[in-house]
Amino acid sequence: MLVVMSSASMESRTADGEARPRPAKFVSPKTVALYAVLTVLATAITMTLVIPLPNRGYFNVGDSMVFFAAFAFGWRAGMICGGIGSAAADLLLGYGFFAPITLVAKGTEGFVSGVLGGAWKNATWAKVLGIWAGGICMVTTYFVAEWIFFGLGYALFELPWNAGQVLIGGLIGLSLAQAVAVYRGTSSRAV
Amino acid sequence: MSGFVDLYTASGTILHRMDPRVKIVSVVFLSLLAIIITELVYLLILAAALAGLIFIGRASLSKTLIALRYVLRVMVLIIILWPFFDPHGTPVLFEFGLIKITLPGILGGLETAVRVFCLAVVWYILMFTTSQGDLVRALVKMGLRFDFGLSLSISLRFLPTFTATVESIKDAQRARGMELDKGSLKKRAMNYVSVLVPTIIMALKTADTLSLALQSRAYGARADRTYLRELWMRPVDYLALCISIAIFAIPATAKYIFSVPL
Repeated sequence: MLVVMSSASMESRTADGEARPRPAKFVSPKTVALYAVLTVLATAITMTLVIPLPNRGYFNVGDSMVFFAAFAFGWRAGMICGGIGSAAADLLLGYGFFAPITLVAKGTEGFVSGVLGGAWKNATWAKVLGIWAGGICMVTTYFVAEWIFFGLGYALFELPWNAGQVLIGGLIGLSLAQAVAVYRGTSSRAV
Repeated sequence: MSGFVDLYTASGTILHRMDPRVKIVSVVFLSLLAIIITELVYLLILAAALAGLIFIGRASLSKTLIALRYVLRVMVLIIILWPFFDPHGTPVLFEFGLIKITLPGILGGLETAVRVFCLAVVWYILMFTTSQGDLVRALVKMGLRFDFGLSLSISLRFLPTFTATVESIKDAQRARGMELDKGSLKKRAMNYVSVLVPTIIMALKTADTLSLALQSRAYGARADRTYLRELWMRPVDYLALCISIAIFAIPATAKYIFSVPL
C-alpha cells in the first residue's frame, strides 16, 4: 500500500489520529519582538533624554525614535511604534489625557515620514522630505488639538517648541538610521 | 528626573480592585464629561469629586504632585495666555492697542485650566490604580488581538531595563569625554547620537533573542489560547459601570436635550 507523506504541519490529524489544534493567525514572532523593542525605545527615550535649553524649556528627543523606526523599518513600524511609544510616555509622565492626541500626532508623523523616506530607493533627500512632511503633520496635529483643549494662546506658545523638537528629532533620527544601516549591512556606504 | 517608570502603587482599595475594563470605560466617559461641561462652577465640583477619588485610592500626596507637575505648569500657562486671545464680553479690565483683557476672558482661561486638571486627574487615577499587566489584559479582553497585546506587555516589561541602559550608556560616554551640557544646540543633539546608537544596537539584539524565545514557547501554536489570569466582572463592577455611564449621560442629556446651562 502506498502511503503518501504530506508535511507534518499540513495534516489535520496527528499520528495518533487526534485533531491537531488550529494555529493562530498572528504576526511573526520577529515582528512582535521588533515592534515591542521599537515601542519601548520610543517610550524610554521620550521619558529620559531631554535636552535642556539655556532658558527655562527643554526638548525631548522622542521624535528621533519615530523617524528612526520609520526610516529603518518602514512606515508601519514608524506609525505603530512611534505613535504607541510616545503615547505610552505621555501616560507614564502624568498627562495621560494627551495620549490619544500624541498617538495621532506621532503616528501620522511616522506614517508620512516612512512612506516618503522609503521612496526613491532610500535616498537621503527623500528622508529629509519625509522629516519635513512628518514634522508638519505632527506640529499641525498638536497645534489644532492644543487650540481646542488649551486655547489659542497656549497653542501658539507651544508651536515653536514643537517645531524645534521635530527639527532636532529629525536630525538625530536621520543620523541614527544611517549609522544603524551601516551596522546591519544594509547601507550603501563603505564601512 | 525621578526614577519611577510606573505610576501604579499596589493597594487594596475599591478602585484598585475594580475590573480594569470598567476603569478604562469610566475614564473615557469622565473625560467626555469634563469636555462637555463649560461652566466653571460645575467644573470645580467635578475637580473636587475627582480629588476625592484620589483620596479613596490612597495615593500619596508627594507622588501625585510629582505625577501632575507637568499639568500644573500647563494650567498656569493657560491661565496667563488665554485672556490675550479671548477678548469677548464685558467688563473690559484692560485695553491697550490690540490687547483687550475682559473678565469673561479670564474666566474662560480658568475654566479651561480646571478642565485640563480634571482630565489629567482622571487619567492619573486610572494609571495609579491599575497595574500595567491588568491594563493589557483588559485591552485584550475588550478585543485587542493577542499578538498586539503581547507586544505591548513586552514593551512595558522592558521599559525599566531600557531606561537604565540609556542612563548607563550616557555615563559610559561621559566617562569617554562627551559633554552633554555644553556646546551649541546642534552639538548637544549630535552628542545624543553617540548615546542612542549603542542603545539601538542593544535593543535590536534583544529583539532577536526575544523572537527566539517566543518561538521556543510555541507562540501562535493554537488559536484557542487560554490565559493564566482571567478577568471576571463582579456585580460591583457592573454597578460601577452603570454609575459611570449615568454620570455622563445625565448631564449630557440635560445639556443637549433640555438646554440646562452646564
